[in-house]
Amino acid sequence: MPLIETKDIKKDYLLGETVVHALRGVDLTIDRGEFVAIWGPSGSGKTTLLNLIGAIDEPSSGQLLIEDQDVSRLSDNRQTELRNESIGFIFQGFNLIAVLSALENVMLPLQIKGKSFSVAKDRALSRLHEVGLSDFVRHRPDKMSGGQQQRVAIARALVTNPSLVIADEPTANLDSDTSRSIIGLMRSLNEKEKTTFIFSTHDQRLLDRVGRLVRLEDGRIIDGGDGK
Amino acid sequence: MTKWTKIALRNILKNKRRSFVTLLAISIGFTAVSLFRGYTHNTYEGLRTSAIRGEGLGHLTIYKAGWIDKGKIDPDKYMFSMEDIKTITDIAEEEDDVLLATPQLHLSGLVSNGDISTIFLAQGVIPRDDKTIKGAWAAFRPVRGNVLDEKKPYGIEMAEDLARHLNLSPGADGVVMASTLDGQMNALDIQVSGVYDSGSDATNDKYMRVPFSFAQSLYDTEKADRIIVLLDDWKKTEQARTRLYNRLSRAGLKCEIKTWNELSLFYSKVKGMFDMIFIFLFSIVFIIVVMSTVNTMGMAVLERTREIGTLRALGLKRRGVSVLFAIEGSLLGLIGSILGAMLNVGVWAVIRAVEPTYIPPGVSTPVPLIVNLVPQTMAGLMIFLIFLSLTAAILPARRAARQNVVDALGHV
Repeated sequence: MPLIETKDIKKDYLLGETVVHALRGVDLTIDRGEFVAIWGPSGSGKTTLLNLIGAIDEPSSGQLLIEDQDVSRLSDNRQTELRNESIGFIFQGFNLIAVLSALENVMLPLQIKGKSFSVAKDRALSRLHEVGLSDFVRHRPDKMSGGQQQRVAIARALVTNPSLVIADEPTANLDSDTSRSIIGLMRSLNEKEKTTFIFSTHDQRLLDRVGRLVRLEDGRIIDGGDGK
Repeated sequence: MTKWTKIALRNILKNKRRSFVTLLAISIGFTAVSLFRGYTHNTYEGLRTSAIRGEGLGHLTIYKAGWIDKGKIDPDKYMFSMEDIKTITDIAEEEDDVLLATPQLHLSGLVSNGDISTIFLAQGVIPRDDKTIKGAWAAFRPVRGNVLDEKKPYGIEMAEDLARHLNLSPGADGVVMASTLDGQMNALDIQVSGVYDSGSDATNDKYMRVPFSFAQSLYDTEKADRIIVLLDDWKKTEQARTRLYNRLSRAGLKCEIKTWNELSLFYSKVKGMFDMIFIFLFSIVFIIVVMSTVNTMGMAVLERTREIGTLRALGLKRRGVSVLFAIEGSLLGLIGSILGAMLNVGVWAVIRAVEPTYIPPGVSTPVPLIVNLVPQTMAGLMIFLIFLSLTAAILPARRAARQNVVDALGHV
C-alpha cells in the first residue's frame, strides 16, 4: 500500500474572472520512506500539489489517498487530526510561533495532540538535540538565525513521529551552505527513521541529494510520477 | 498555566501599546462604573436612612383605607380611633421583625411669635417613640436646645428656617392655630424646646415636631391619622407589608400600607435620576469596552493570520483557534478589571483622605462626598467585563477559525 496516491488530481483557482489551472490532472504514487523532490519552475504547481498532499487544501477534482484514506471524504476535524498525527510541515518562512521559545514551538504539535507537558518536553528536547540545537532551547525565533529557525521547524515537523513530512521550498530563504546542511539533515533523518519526505524546490544544486525527482511543468508531471 | 493561556498572555505583552489602550479602556470603564455605583450606594443608603429615621417615616405607614384619597375632605372619618390604634399596634408588635408601632397625627396651620404668623406643617409624635425611630441618626442632625419630652406637652421642635423667620430660639414662646376636625379655630401656646435642620430647603421653613397629645389637643380629637411601623431591617419591608396587611384584614381592619420609599418622593426621584445616569454611563462603558476589544482582537487576528494557518496545519482544530483568541479576550477583561479594581481602591482612598463636601440641589447643608467600596458590584463588574471581552473576541476568533489554511499561510 503506497503512503500517498493521487488520482487525476486537478486544482483550479479563480483569479478575478480568470480560471487558473494550477494542476491539470496529476497521478502520483509515493511509498513509505521515500525522499522525493518536486522540481519545476515557478508557477508549475509545486506548492499546490504539496498543499493537497498535506491535506490543507482540497482538489477541484480527482482523488487523494493518504494511507489508503480518501482525504476529501474526511470531515475538517478528521483532516486536522490526520495532519497532527501523520504529517509534519516545514515551511519556506519557517512559520515558528514568535512568542514561544524553540522548545515550546517543538512541543506544540504534541500538546495539540493532548500529550502531557513532561512527555512533550522530553520528546521536543530529544528532537532539538538531533537537529543540533540543544543550546538554543530557550531562545525565541527572533534571536535565532534562519538556519537555526529552519532546524527548529524540522524538529517540530518530526516531533510527532509522522509518516510524512512536507517541506515547501525549505531552503528558499537560506544561503547555499545552510541549504545544503538543511537538506543533509532531512536526508539523514529520512535514512535513519524511514520517514517519508516530500519537498519542493527549484534549486538545482540540491537535486543530486534526493532519492527521487518529480518534475512538474504547467500543472502536469513531466517526469518521475511513477517512481521509476 | 496552560499552553494557550501562555500564548495569549505573551501576545498581550508582545503588542504592548495596543494592549495598553484596551486595558486602559477596560480599567477606566471599570473604575467609572464602580465608583459611581459606590457613590449611589452611599447616597441611597443615606437617603434611605434619612427617609426612615430623619423624616420619621419608619419602614411602613398604615393608613385607614380611603385616607390617602379622601382624608383631607373628611379627616375624622378616615382616622384611626383609640381602639383601632391599640389593635393595630398590638398586631404589629407581635411580629418578630417589628421593633415599634406608633401612632402619629400630622397637622397644618399657622404659627405665630405674637407679631407675625406663617404656615407650618407638623408631625405629632410620641416623644419616646420618635427617639427610637431617630436612633443613631439623631446625632447626624442634632437638635439645638432640647428634644420633645412627654413631661412638657407644649414643648415643640421647630425647623431652623422657620425659627429664624419667626425669630424664635429655644426657650421662646409662640402660638399655633389650626382648625379642629369639627372646623372650629383652635389656638394653643407653645414653647420652642429645640431647633433642628430638616435637611431640605423645601421643608426647613415649615416643619415642626410636636408631642402626639399636643397634636390631638390642637385638632380636638383622640384619633391618629397614621401608624408608623419600624422594622429591624429595611430589606424586610415588602414582606412585612404583605404579612401585616393580611393580618389586619383578617382582624377586620381595612387599611392601606405604604412603604418608606413610596412616601419619600425625594428618595424616589433621586434614585430614578441616578439609575438613569448609571444606565447612561454603563452604556458608554459597554460600547467603549466592546469596540476596543473587538478592534484589538480584530487586529490581532489580522496580524497573526499566518500563525493561525500554521497552528491549523499543525493540527489545531477550528474550535481550538476560537478558544485561543477567546482566552486572549478574557485575559484582557481580567487584567483590565484587576487594574480597574486597583484604580478604584486608589480613588476611594483619596476621597476618604480629602473628605470633599458638596451641596446637592434642594438640600440645606453641605454633605460629604462619600463613595462606598461595594465588593458585590466589583465582583459582578469583573465577571461582566471578562464575559464582555470574551464575547467581543468571539467574532474575530470565529472569523480566524474559518479561514482557509492555505490562504492563512500565504497571508503577508
